[in-house]
Amino acid sequence: MPPRNPAVVAGKAIAVGVILLWSLFPIGFMLMSSLKPGQEIFAVPPRLVFEPTLQHYGALWEKWAVFFRGLGNSFIVTLGATLLTVIASTMAGFVYSRERGRALEASALFLIVVRLLPPIVLTLPLFTIANMLAINDTHLVLILLYATFFVSLGTLLMRTFIDYIPRELDEAAMVDGASRLTILWRVIRPLSKQGMLALAVFVIVYAWNEFLFAFVFTSTRAKTAPLVISEMLGSFDGVDWGVLFAASSVQLLPILIFVIFMQKHLVAGLTGGAIKG
Amino acid sequence: MIKGLSRRQTLRGALGVAAVLAATPHRGFAASKTLNILAHRVHQNSLTTGPAGDLTKAWRDANDANCEWATFDTNPLQDRLFREASLDRTDFGVGFLVNSRATTAAASLLHPLDAYQSSAPIEDFADIAPGLVSAMRFDGKLVSVPFRHATIGLFYNEALLEEQGIKAPPKSLEELVDQAKKLTFRSSAGTPVTGMVLASDLTVFPVTFARAFGGDFIGPDLKLVPDPAALEKALATLADLFKSGTLPRTYATTSNDDQVTWLQQGRAAFTVLPFARFAQLNRQDQSKYPGKIKAIEFPASQSLQGRMSSVVEFWAMSIPANARDKDLAWNFIRAMSSKAVTTGAARNGNGPVRVSTYSDPGFAADQPLAAVEARALAGARVPLPAFPEAARAQTIFNEEVQLTVLGRKTPKEGVAAIIERVKPLLAS
Amino acid sequence: MPAAVRGAGARLSRLGATLPFLAPAQLLVLTVIVLPALHIIWLSLSTSTFGKAPVFVGLANYIHVFGDTYFWRALANTIIIVLVVVHVELLLGLGMALLFASGLPARRLLLAAVLAPYAVSEVSAAVIWRFLFDPDAGPVTMALHALGLPGFEWSVDPAHGLAIVALLSIWLHLPFTFLIIYAARLAVPEELYEAARIDGASKLQSFRRVTLPLLMPAILLAALFRYIFVFRLFSEVWLMTQGGPARSTDVVAVYLYLEAFRFNAFGTAAATGWIMVMISMILGAGYLWGLRREMRAHAA
Repeated sequence: MPPRNPAVVAGKAIAVGVILLWSLFPIGFMLMSSLKPGQEIFAVPPRLVFEPTLQHYGALWEKWAVFFRGLGNSFIVTLGATLLTVIASTMAGFVYSRERGRALEASALFLIVVRLLPPIVLTLPLFTIANMLAINDTHLVLILLYATFFVSLGTLLMRTFIDYIPRELDEAAMVDGASRLTILWRVIRPLSKQGMLALAVFVIVYAWNEFLFAFVFTSTRAKTAPLVISEMLGSFDGVDWGVLFAASSVQLLPILIFVIFMQKHLVAGLTGGAIKG
Repeated sequence: MIKGLSRRQTLRGALGVAAVLAATPHRGFAASKTLNILAHRVHQNSLTTGPAGDLTKAWRDANDANCEWATFDTNPLQDRLFREASLDRTDFGVGFLVNSRATTAAASLLHPLDAYQSSAPIEDFADIAPGLVSAMRFDGKLVSVPFRHATIGLFYNEALLEEQGIKAPPKSLEELVDQAKKLTFRSSAGTPVTGMVLASDLTVFPVTFARAFGGDFIGPDLKLVPDPAALEKALATLADLFKSGTLPRTYATTSNDDQVTWLQQGRAAFTVLPFARFAQLNRQDQSKYPGKIKAIEFPASQSLQGRMSSVVEFWAMSIPANARDKDLAWNFIRAMSSKAVTTGAARNGNGPVRVSTYSDPGFAADQPLAAVEARALAGARVPLPAFPEAARAQTIFNEEVQLTVLGRKTPKEGVAAIIERVKPLLAS
Repeated sequence: MPAAVRGAGARLSRLGATLPFLAPAQLLVLTVIVLPALHIIWLSLSTSTFGKAPVFVGLANYIHVFGDTYFWRALANTIIIVLVVVHVELLLGLGMALLFASGLPARRLLLAAVLAPYAVSEVSAAVIWRFLFDPDAGPVTMALHALGLPGFEWSVDPAHGLAIVALLSIWLHLPFTFLIIYAARLAVPEELYEAARIDGASKLQSFRRVTLPLLMPAILLAALFRYIFVFRLFSEVWLMTQGGPARSTDVVAVYLYLEAFRFNAFGTAAATGWIMVMISMILGAGYLWGLRREMRAHAA
């Protein structure tokens, strides 16, 4: 342990304070707004002392049943997209980690380069294609889209992670006559669990919050929660801000708690399991 | 995909939760037919909830049909409607169309309704505001039936006016400017008040000011800036309001939802909004001034000879040309356009498109604005006529107005730029 | 059999064996991105809108976009935002990673706090920020005034408008950048620092010789992905300023959005899409090159 320099300690304390304020203040403000009576939310000057109320949550439950259905849809889509992304990325990452060659390198770069095309412009032809396949307004279309748009980052992450797993392990298995698939399943999968978990967190956060694709490809049956929230923002008889903040809070809390609980795996997963959180 | 995964033990619990969530209040039960409707939530609400109840129920029972509403915000909604109508086939039978997005090209995607109107006519069709109906005719063909209008009025906070010793709302634009300047102060509640708040991303507000001077952006006959001097005066007025702090510093990024909160919080004394916002502005649970927000027709300039025409925007019901079941869709449109449903929807908060609704005692009695709104609607006109590049023209107009109001251009330069940049769009 | 041919044969059979593993990822990308992208090339060479079939016009759309001053302004804004956001995020992320690695009390809890903004959706974030930074009455503005500092005039001054958009983007995505770098920092074996200390290296020297080189792959990875995302930044701008005042904070994605979804000019929108790909490839070549080198180095 280096000697404790008071200046260093003070500097760190200030840095930590600034970081906390920066990260948490806006979120705290949103949660607080969802508990304020309607007239107080945009009061100028803002009030920090107020009588908290759950009225907006009640109104959300009563008037916006579609929001809770949206949460259900978000859940299904997130789950599906995460599984698909993790499986596809692990398989591809395994190959990129273990094999070399110009063609492979080119295909890896290709995975990244195609991501430069803005999704917004892709929605033009994709809408027609999805309609031809009759998968518009289904969970499936969002699962496929989300997985596709995360599979390049996913593959890179998994490749990096699998790089940390000693090759000797698969070579030993290979000597025993194991096929690539067996190696992937028996050797790589158990050892790269944390990498998969870390990737899963990224996909889950993305899929849970994604807006553009959901807005283009869903209308009733598969409508996700962010879409319902955006609808609350643009209403003719006026935005009910309390309800909006309540909905945003309800939408945020599960994912926030999830990220906080997963942080150990997140860090471990990104370090190739070398560090135990 | 989901099916394949559900075999996995570990996922069973999670999927169970999802299934329960997804299955919560799902409207509807088995009916033999389903009508899919693309709408804004405000349309769905005014037809299904409120003092007049669910107005679609009788129709649903009679036709053994379900209504499946897909609701979006305005721009996404229009975009979705045109996309669906561009496909080979669409499940959507009825789509709500807003006047500003109705162009000849868009109209070609919609089913002409004249044959239906002659075989199964809408009750007392002539009663529906003729100005609105004619705006939905393209090449002589009716493509959409007006359903909801939003006519612009001037809202003011009576309490703030009184606080500054102003007894009556303005009778002319000049008076409005004076009062708004006087109302830029710190209120007794400690809130800094700006005289007026206006959104800057909508064409309706500068057009309203231009019409107060007898000018316009694009006239009904597609004439670009028919009276440049009047538009210059309008922009000069707005620029003066901004310069004197009577419009907020956030003018250039203010949206019309901000207008509502600002008025409810007493942060602004005047605003220009559709009359339909009256109820929300006075809501007990949102407004600090419930019952104190009043509305009048937007006052014209003293220099204006004759009557000023208010700005109106409206929504209409259409059938995509590629819809599966057009008969059912027309049946719905027809039922929702009846006199009784129009009045019921108005009681549920809709802006009724039938002139007779305003004189219906069942409606007018508890509508404080009925008379004012009816008068404004009678002379109202859309902010600009439809033409293929209307959206681009509006964007240019808004941009030049913003530059002028922020003081980066003189009104003369602003108007000249509008004319120069919009002219080519009208030619094509 | 000549060795070269035998080598090629072996490569081919290896390719056959590895292909099934790559198939899911590549198939997804192929069907969802590449095939539609080809259709977009066709769209970009024609003019079309709702209710009108495409008419081939050659390169006219590209010429139109390149001749549009609004496009250039949007591009300049985009490049400014990319440069600021990506680099500020990398610097802050690196600084925070080092701070966390240097040992902090209640590290878990602090980490959770730092990660929190990552979970917030863009829509919610923009709503909060608009109110916090309201130039007339927002709490942040009032705090700045109380400290005797000028407030953000983000709805009047284009530079401030860009700044607030950049700030919001950093707020939302700094956790991602930080996390990638922090994880890489944790993976650096402590023995290396021991060794550096024994060699008499100063803190700065050990940072430059040990930390930075070992963090480089992670920094490049974070930079590349943030670069891709920021280059087509849309929600932050659209929800905060709508490109205002007077279209002065437009970014390329907003330009594209207006063409496609407001003006329904699919030809120019598609052309803008491809121009974005080309420009971001040129500008991102450095990152890509660096990443490729890192991948090669790993292979050795």
